[in-house]
Amino acid sequence: MEQAITAFFSVFADPYLLGLICITTIAGVIIGALPGLGATTGAALLLPFTLTMDPVYAITILTTIYCSATFAGAITAILINTPGTPAAAATTFDGFPLAQRGEAGRALGVAVVASTIGGIFSVFALAIAAPLMAQVAYEFRPPEYFALTLFGLSMLASISEGGAIKNLIGGLFGVWLATIGADQVTAVERFMFGNYELYEGLNFIPVMIGLFAMSELLYQSTRVNQIVEQIAMKAVKLPSWADYKRIAGTVARSCGIGTFIGILPAEGATVASMIGYSEAKRWSKNKEEFGKGAIEGVAGAEAANNSATGGAMVPTLVLGIPGSATTAVIIVGLMVHGLRPGPYLFTQQVDKVYAIFGAMLAANIMFLVLGLYGAKIFARVTLVPRQILWPIVFALAIVGAYSLNQAMLDVWLVLIFGVVGFMCRRFGFSVAPIAIGLILGEMVETNLQNSLKIFDGQWWLILTQPLAAVFLILAALGLARPFLSALSDRRRRATTSTLSE
Amino acid sequence: MTNNTTGDKSSGSTSGDVTQDAPFPKPRPMDFAAPVVIFVFAAVVAYLTTTFEDASPLIVGHAMQPRNFPLFLMAVICVLNVVLIIQTVLRPPKRRDLEPWQTWLSMVVLGLFFILAAYADLFLGIIVSMFALSILWGERRLWVSTLVSVATPAIIFFVFDQVLKVRFPRGILTNLWYGA
Repeated sequence: MEQAITAFFSVFADPYLLGLICITTIAGVIIGALPGLGATTGAALLLPFTLTMDPVYAITILTTIYCSATFAGAITAILINTPGTPAAAATTFDGFPLAQRGEAGRALGVAVVASTIGGIFSVFALAIAAPLMAQVAYEFRPPEYFALTLFGLSMLASISEGGAIKNLIGGLFGVWLATIGADQVTAVERFMFGNYELYEGLNFIPVMIGLFAMSELLYQSTRVNQIVEQIAMKAVKLPSWADYKRIAGTVARSCGIGTFIGILPAEGATVASMIGYSEAKRWSKNKEEFGKGAIEGVAGAEAANNSATGGAMVPTLVLGIPGSATTAVIIVGLMVHGLRPGPYLFTQQVDKVYAIFGAMLAANIMFLVLGLYGAKIFARVTLVPRQILWPIVFALAIVGAYSLNQAMLDVWLVLIFGVVGFMCRRFGFSVAPIAIGLILGEMVETNLQNSLKIFDGQWWLILTQPLAAVFLILAALGLARPFLSALSDRRRRATTSTLSE
Repeated sequence: MTNNTTGDKSSGSTSGDVTQDAPFPKPRPMDFAAPVVIFVFAAVVAYLTTTFEDASPLIVGHAMQPRNFPLFLMAVICVLNVVLIIQTVLRPPKRRDLEPWQTWLSMVVLGLFFILAAYADLFLGIIVSMFALSILWGERRLWVSTLVSVATPAIIFFVFDQVLKVRFPRGILTNLWYGA
C-alpha cells in the first residue's frame, strides 16, 4: 500500500516525467482538437515513438494522449460544431448553440472544468477499483476468462457507432484476424499463405494504424469540399458560482455514470457522454433549454466522457480486456513494453502501475491549465488545412508502422487495413469493434481451448462455474439489450402515434 | 464575436452525406453489397480451413482442431449476416452519394505508394504520395506541397534513424544516407 502511494505521488517529484506529460498534453489537445484525429489514432501514431523509452514514460504518453485528446474534442465541438473526437459528439448539442449566442468562452470553461473533475474522479476510482478487481481476478481460470471475453464481445452490440449486428460482425472479424498465424498449442499454420512473417500472428500496431489513421485519411478525402463554420471567441471563462451551482449535480452524476460505463468492456467515452448528456437532460429543471445552449448539457457530456477514461483503464489493466478502442492501443503499448495486463500487474509491478495512475492525475490537472489558458490558441489548429495535415499523418502512419519491427509487411498491413477500414465505414460498420475483437481474439480461443481440456470436451460444464455463468448471463443480456430497447422504442412510438391520432 | 470559414474551396459537393429517402423505401441491390461480401468472405475462410493440417490428437486432446474455431466464427458471422439482411429488407439504410473523385484517386495514390515503396524506395514513395495527396485534396501552392512532402519525411527519417535507431530498407534515396 505504502509502495503504491509513494509511486502514485512520485510522478509529481519527477521533473522529466512532468515535462513529458506537459508536452504530451499539448500534443493530445492538438490531436483531439483536429477533427478526425482522435485519441485512438493519436495513441496509435505515437506508440512507435515510445519504443525506446522506459515503460512508465511510454505508457504515460499514451494515457496522457487518451485523457487530453478526449477533453480536446470539446474545443471543435463547441467552436465548429464538429466533434474533434466521437466522444465529444454530445457536446455539440449544447456547446455550439452556446457559442452561436456569444458564449463560446463560457461553454469551453464549463467543458474544461467538468472534464477535469470527471478525469480526476475516474483516476481515483481507478486507483481504488483496479486492485479490488484484481483480487477477484486472481480466482479466474480459463472458463471465467472465456466467459468474460464473451461478455466483452457482447458489449460491442451496444457501442454507439454502427448497429448492434454490424458491430458484432466487426468484432468477430477482429477475432478471426487474431487466428492468423501458427496455432498457439499445435503450431498448425492458419491463413499464412506461406508467409512466415505472419507466424506469430498479425502485429497489432500496423492493423490499428491502418484501421484508425489510414481509414480516417480516406474518410477525410470525402470531406475535402465541405465548408466549416467557425465561431471565434475572446477568452475562456471559468464558470461563475451560479454556473457551478447549476452544474454540480450534473457533473457528480456524470462522473459516476462515466466511470461505470468506462469499466464495462468495450464501452468507451462515446457511450458514456451520450448517457451522461441524456441523464443531465432527464434530471434538469430546465429541459427546454437542452439543444439550445444548456450548460448542464455540456457539463454532463464532458464530465462523463473524461471519467470514462479512468474507468476504461480498469478492465484494461486488470483483465487485459480493452475498455475502449484507445485502451486497445494502450494494451498493445503495455505488451510491447513487457507489462502484461492482468491481476499480477498489481502485485509484481505495483510501482509502475501506480506511477501510471499518478501520471493520469497529473495529465488531468495539466489540461485544466492548458484548457483555460490555451484553448484559444489550440482552437487555431482547426485552421490547419486538410491538404497539409493528412499527408503528414500518412507519413507518420507509414514510418511508425515500419519502425516497430522494421518490416515492410507492417507497411502493407497499414495500407490493407486502411482500405478495409474505409470500406467498413462506407457500409456503416465501425472499425472500433474490429480492433477490440483483434485484442480479445487470442484470449477467447486460448481460454476456450483450455476450458475444453479442463472439462474433457464437455463445454456446457463452463456454465456450472458460478462466475463464468454470471458473465455468460451478462453477455446474453448485453446481446439482447439493443434489440429490447429498439423494441420498446418502437412500442413507445406506436403508443404515442395512437394517442396523437 | 465573428464568424469566419475554415478550410476549403467550395461547397459544391455534399459527398458522403446522407440524403433523406421516402418514408418506406425499398431496398436497392447496393444495400446488399456488404452482406454478399460477408458471405463470400466467410465461404473463402471456410474453404481455407479445409486446407489446414490435422494436429495430433495427443496434442489436441479434448480441445478443438485448429480449423474448428475459425469455422465456428464464420458460422456465427453467417447467422448474424442473415439478421443483417432481414434488417436491410425491413429498414433499408439511408441512401448515400458516391464518394467524390478525390477519394478514389487517394486510393490510387496508396497503390502508387505500394509500387514505389516495394520497388524503388520507401521514402520516395512517401514523398510522391504526400505530394500527390496534397495536390489532390486542393492545395494550389506547389511550393507548399513540395515543402511539406519533402521536409516532413526528411525530419521523420532523421528522428527515427538518429534518435530511435531505426534502420530503413535500402532504396534509391536511403542509399544516399546509408551509402551504396
